[in-house]
Amino acid sequence: MVRTDRPRRPWILGLVIVLITAGVAAALITSEESGTGASDVGDRADAADQPAGPDRAEASPARCEPTESNPGGTNNYIPDAPEADSLGSGFVIQGIVRTAEGCRPLDGVRIQVWLATESGGEQDNRASTFTDSEGRYRLETDPTIPQFGEPNIHVGYDDSGYREVFIRRVVDLEDTRAKIDLNLARGG
Amino acid sequence: MAAGLTAVVVVPVGLALSDGHLASGPPALVLSTAAAALAVSALALQPLLAGSHRISWHRALGGAALALVLVHIGGLFLVEVDDTLFAMSPDGPTRARMALIGTLALIAVVILGVARARLPMSGPTWRILHAFLATLAIVLGFGHALLTDGALDGPGTAVLLGFGAAAVLAVAGAYVARARRARRAGSG
Repeated sequence: MVRTDRPRRPWILGLVIVLITAGVAAALITSEESGTGASDVGDRADAADQPAGPDRAEASPARCEPTESNPGGTNNYIPDAPEADSLGSGFVIQGIVRTAEGCRPLDGVRIQVWLATESGGEQDNRASTFTDSEGRYRLETDPTIPQFGEPNIHVGYDDSGYREVFIRRVVDLEDTRAKIDLNLARGG
Repeated sequence: MAAGLTAVVVVPVGLALSDGHLASGPPALVLSTAAAALAVSALALQPLLAGSHRISWHRALGGAALALVLVHIGGLFLVEVDDTLFAMSPDGPTRARMALIGTLALIAVVILGVARARLPMSGPTWRILHAFLATLAIVLGFGHALLTDGALDGPGTAVLLGFGAAAVLAVAGAYVARARRARRAGSG
């Protein structure tokens, strides 16, 4: 093979490099940082000082768009998580469950939560909790840890009466609580 | 020299394995994390070997780097199949997309190296393509590690930035050195 110090067809090589670079850039730009629909729901407020509950504006929203499941929401889901008020301490997951039609708080609805913490992976660390008369649920856990690159929380509803919802949300390592509201729609 | 080499190998894996995200992690997660941290060291050293006369070492370490990346991915499958498949899906987070494309680039680099004599391309074309894909694998691999919470945070971030920048510069240096060597061989 004859070796020169320049490619034989530099424009073809240049085109290949430009196309690969553009393809990689497009693939990265079109991705979502934490995965599709996985918004950051955590904050660093002192959960002990601020018990779960909506502020006044949140208690009466003008509209309640149905909460949609997002990709990855069912990851590691095992049906019928055991009922529990606590999975440890140091991190609070809370929210309000409402009807999508009419925005009414739902009382006695079972919400399932699962996440990885220092005490176990997502399949070990799961609980069912129920909403109160104002539609609020609250679960205290050990802080979530990033076994798969980012701390994330799963919340699901799959009982009869409303359409099932499975969502995956993320938090930051320093967060101490997460707020995840659900608006449940009938049918489906 | 030996102390520096040891540091390049030991520091990333030491930092990664001492992080709290492995607290409740199964052995497969520890293995996966260790393999990924060792791959960081391998990718950092590869361009230095490419620029030296130790091409047989460069080839061996290239194969080892790819094997470590595959062990990393395999370990994640053993930890949680759902999360691994989700990460590799179109809905996965940006860091996972970087890892996926970076792995493909690394596979392409290794194939180019193994099949060099049988490929219908000139020496300069091969060198440019090999260097381009190696740079892509390094940038995306280190980018993946930087965006990943847990294993190499804090001082690990500084290590990744330093190693990554050095590796990219070393690719350019290796390309220049190899091209000069080829020109001398051609004119001699």
